[in-house]
Amino acid sequence: MTVYAKPEEFGLADLLCCAASREVADNEIVFAGTGLPMVAIMLAQKTHAPNLKLIFEAGTLDGRPPEIPTSVGDARCEMGASRSSGLNDAFSIAQRGYVDLGYLGGAEVDQYGNVNTTCIGDYLEPELRLTGSGGNPDINSFAKRTVFIMVHEQRRFVENVSYITSPGWRVKKWPGGEFVHRRELYGAAYHGGPSAVISTAGVFRFDSDSGLMYLDTCHPGKTPEEIRGMCQFDLDISRVKGETELPTREDLRIIHDVLDPNEIFIPKVRQG
Amino acid sequence: MSTNKRITLQQAAEIIKDGSSLTFSGFTIWRRPMAIIFELIRQRRKGLHLIEVNGGSQTEFLVGAGCVDIWESCWVGHELYGKYGANLSRKVANKEIIVEDYSHAEMMFRFAAAAQGAPYAVTQTSLGSDIHNPEYDMLGRAGLRDGKRIAAHKYQFTEDPFFGAGSQVLIPAARVDIAVLCVQQVGEEGTVRVNGQYYSDPEVARAAAITIVMAEEIVPEEYLRRNADQNTIASFEVNHILECPFGAHPTGMFGRYDVDGAFLKDFYSRTRTQEGFDDFANEWIYGQDHISYLEKLGWPRMLGLKANTALNYSPRISKGGK
Repeated sequence: MTVYAKPEEFGLADLLCCAASREVADNEIVFAGTGLPMVAIMLAQKTHAPNLKLIFEAGTLDGRPPEIPTSVGDARCEMGASRSSGLNDAFSIAQRGYVDLGYLGGAEVDQYGNVNTTCIGDYLEPELRLTGSGGNPDINSFAKRTVFIMVHEQRRFVENVSYITSPGWRVKKWPGGEFVHRRELYGAAYHGGPSAVISTAGVFRFDSDSGLMYLDTCHPGKTPEEIRGMCQFDLDISRVKGETELPTREDLRIIHDVLDPNEIFIPKVRQG
Repeated sequence: MSTNKRITLQQAAEIIKDGSSLTFSGFTIWRRPMAIIFELIRQRRKGLHLIEVNGGSQTEFLVGAGCVDIWESCWVGHELYGKYGANLSRKVANKEIIVEDYSHAEMMFRFAAAAQGAPYAVTQTSLGSDIHNPEYDMLGRAGLRDGKRIAAHKYQFTEDPFFGAGSQVLIPAARVDIAVLCVQQVGEEGTVRVNGQYYSDPEVARAAAITIVMAEEIVPEEYLRRNADQNTIASFEVNHILECPFGAHPTGMFGRYDVDGAFLKDFYSRTRTQEGFDDFANEWIYGQDHISYLEKLGWPRMLGLKANTALNYSPRISKGGK
């Protein structure tokens, strides 16, 4: 029987982790990045999706790490894996179309799900240079679905990102840079695109025709109007289904007792 | 057959000249040839052109020390221990470095093309992104695309001529002067055995004109040849070898030692400014050699990083968590 945790028993990171975990179905092939997504996938592996196949970008295929790796290059990744290889394998497999789902992050996201991890401000005169793309655009190009996990601030949810690192639903067609629907540009290489953004305020999805983001569920304590006010674009709140599903007590036990006991990625909420 | 591939740490750094193009083994904060990186900084190398599948701590050290003019890659940071490359970021803001952005898969496929002797690779990644914005061809803007050392174009679009699959991106082979690898074992004749994920090591070794392998240990060649199926790179693909225990520190090495997260955190937090970098380099790099660096780190610290031989990493529990 599913027993949901009480609001005082979990933190925002727990809620995000569980919401992300629920995006994956059993038997799917999942591309995992460092951090909270890794905890989310391993939570799914230990709950509703025991047969999911985990690929780490650095070269681990069908990994079953005994403890949370600190990054995808970590020696922990390949313990119990089907195969330990390299990036040429991991990206070839992804481009070949094997990947169902990828978890990604970003500094900015726009109304079409375009994500920026490269720079804040004008690329040629940046206010702040960030990490750069990493595998973000690759996984977002190759996977059937991608899920973005992000901090929700108004400055991060913008009408158009200052630099499209990772392509969403309406993207730039070069050399002119006019916006076209992703399907038009990708042709036979079209596998899908961003399916959800899980922010610290709610869960967002995309209209398949317009490519526009809409609010799907609100995290506890947030109203649709409040969340719309946290975006620089006119967020569609007409399709809200209600509140984001809460973590169960079993989810919390697995996260804190099994996966991340040292609180490397997810701090434990202590009551009283 | 040459059995005289052994060189010293100092000689390894001397092979890399001012203006050389350079790449490395490893992945972000794993198996980076840090001892050679530090030696390059001591030797005050200038004008390097780094072409990397991904950047990491090695990038940040070289960039902070002013050794690098051009960085072609996709990512830099210290993973959990430093969220972005503060030194690169500072030099970008000051226009002291040219950054050419590709995606991670593009960089990997560029090296795979070079390793095959092909002039370019074809991919469908990153269509619709600003990576392909023609205004953002930074080497082109700098007038450096001579079609010889640097490809004539950042990328080209083409339509699939064979199956009508639509837009394809052609990306130039990543040809580099020198690849510097840091691995667990190399044989006297150059055969390399990498344990754990081999990242992009086989491709970068083959793509480079000169490949230098720094290993935790040089082992008898015949030992590696007893199990040739476990080897990663063939002897003749390697030009020079050297033995340098803990040569990857502060990055980690599968089966040998973990990442020194505290060291990287300290580096990241102290090197936001040039003064901070210079101060850090004066403490850990200038005036040191590899042995004095290890002495400064000390045995207790190194034992804490030492990997368990069954697990291949250093278990956190035994050290009381984080």
